[in-house]
Amino acid sequence: MVELRDVCMQFEENKVLDGFSLNVEPQERLVIMGQSGSGKSTILRLILGTLRPNAGSIFFKRFEITGLQRRKLQAVRQHMGMVYQYSALLSSRNVRENVALPLEELTDKSRDEIDKIVDEKLELVGMKDSKDLLPEELSGGMRKRVALARALVLEPELMLLDEPSAGLDPVIASVIDELIISLSDTAKVTSITVTHEMDSAFRIGTRMAMLYQGKIIEEAEPEKFKQSKNPVVAQFLSGSTEGPILEGSLDAITKK
Amino acid sequence: MADAQPPPVLVAQGIGHISRNFLREVGGVFWFIVNTFEEMFERIQQGRVPFRATSFFRHSQRAGVDSVPLVGLVSFFLGLTMTLLTGYQLQRFGTERLIPGLVAIGFTRELGPLLTGIMVAARIGAAFTAELGTMQVSEEVEAIESMGIGPLRFLVAPRMLALILLMPCLSTASNIAAILASSLICKAYFSIAFPYFLDLVKDSLLIRDIITGIFKSFLFGLLIAAIACYRGLTVKGGAAGVGISTTSSVVTAITAVIGFDTLYNVIYTTFYPT
Repeated sequence: MVELRDVCMQFEENKVLDGFSLNVEPQERLVIMGQSGSGKSTILRLILGTLRPNAGSIFFKRFEITGLQRRKLQAVRQHMGMVYQYSALLSSRNVRENVALPLEELTDKSRDEIDKIVDEKLELVGMKDSKDLLPEELSGGMRKRVALARALVLEPELMLLDEPSAGLDPVIASVIDELIISLSDTAKVTSITVTHEMDSAFRIGTRMAMLYQGKIIEEAEPEKFKQSKNPVVAQFLSGSTEGPILEGSLDAITKK
Repeated sequence: MADAQPPPVLVAQGIGHISRNFLREVGGVFWFIVNTFEEMFERIQQGRVPFRATSFFRHSQRAGVDSVPLVGLVSFFLGLTMTLLTGYQLQRFGTERLIPGLVAIGFTRELGPLLTGIMVAARIGAAFTAELGTMQVSEEVEAIESMGIGPLRFLVAPRMLALILLMPCLSTASNIAAILASSLICKAYFSIAFPYFLDLVKDSLLIRDIITGIFKSFLFGLLIAAIACYRGLTVKGGAAGVGISTTSSVVTAITAVIGFDTLYNVIYTTFYPT
């Protein structure tokens, strides 16, 4: 479904991805873990084509994202749904208008049909009663659920989720996780989630990957991943301050 | 200090750096306009409207109708001042009957579009940049793009078209306000009655002057909208970045309006010297 081959991405002097490769099979729920600023969100943006890599190729189904013209890229994006870390709802539009936007702009559906789909998706995320509220009137969790409904409205084949449960209370985080799981079970949606929320990651993922210094250093099913012998993965999962992740940076902190 | 460059090299480097940035910005705005129209026409080719009519009318209301009081008032005061100042000078030579023509031609061809351009750049250009800049830093623009919706045709095209179409209307309002003010001063200070004032305006004003003014207004509308939206969508650096871009947008748009006005006048007078 998605393949990244030897992707390199650099922002000025900062090399974020260095020969990064990844393969995602249909209906899989891949979770990419890694430290803050390690390039997890960049991977999602590269798949969406909103960022272009410095080197390497990215494929979505049979399309090479990196080589697509704007018009074709826009058509391909309609098969993907993205949930941003901070929701990215349009602040001047209410919940209904936010969720209806892709349908109004990209399909020929009538107003009644759009309303029906919007209601259905908002009900799915438990937000049907908040249709007329503006994003500024919603809590963080509510915004995230609306963003999820908006991403689902075009029935995407691939969901890209950037920290879907970060900053949410445990109950709402579980609701969102369950929703992501049910989507892949019932609607056969493939998903790539980037997160460093452990509980959520192991609940959602059918495969886990650890991003470190621009590359995937460990890739396994959740149970195997938990027992990884890789010292970086082990330190990341335990949250210990002893280990290779903080070498150098911890010295710098303590010296201050 | 041994590696210090001699002053002429530093000056040349500085000029080169400024020229490169200038050309990059000009190229950026040019392709921004081309891409916006391209996205619009692609959408029309698909048999769909490029943007919603409500969006266009909302921006027209804001940029056009809501700007009428400001443009009208400033032009009215400037018309009063211009008539008083030129009137007393012309009166010394007994040629005060030239005032109506002078004000009418001056505003229709030059001051109307220019003043309107400057006021719209400050009032609406700043608003467009701040609005799009805020959407850019809060990832709203990227979210629109990620849905497969072209942000240029969805966000920029209605603003650009509203400003292009409304600028000639605002410019006309500016001309009318200034000519009205001039007629009041002519009556009060130079004993030129209103019917005679109108005759003098009609005698001196050519269709060519009106067309020139309207054409300039279209051009200024396009320039202001393109610069404001371009600056908004290229904001970097959060809230501070929005502030910097908004200031830069207003300064650039006003400079561009005055610069293009001068360029237009040079070209125009070369081909039509009288």
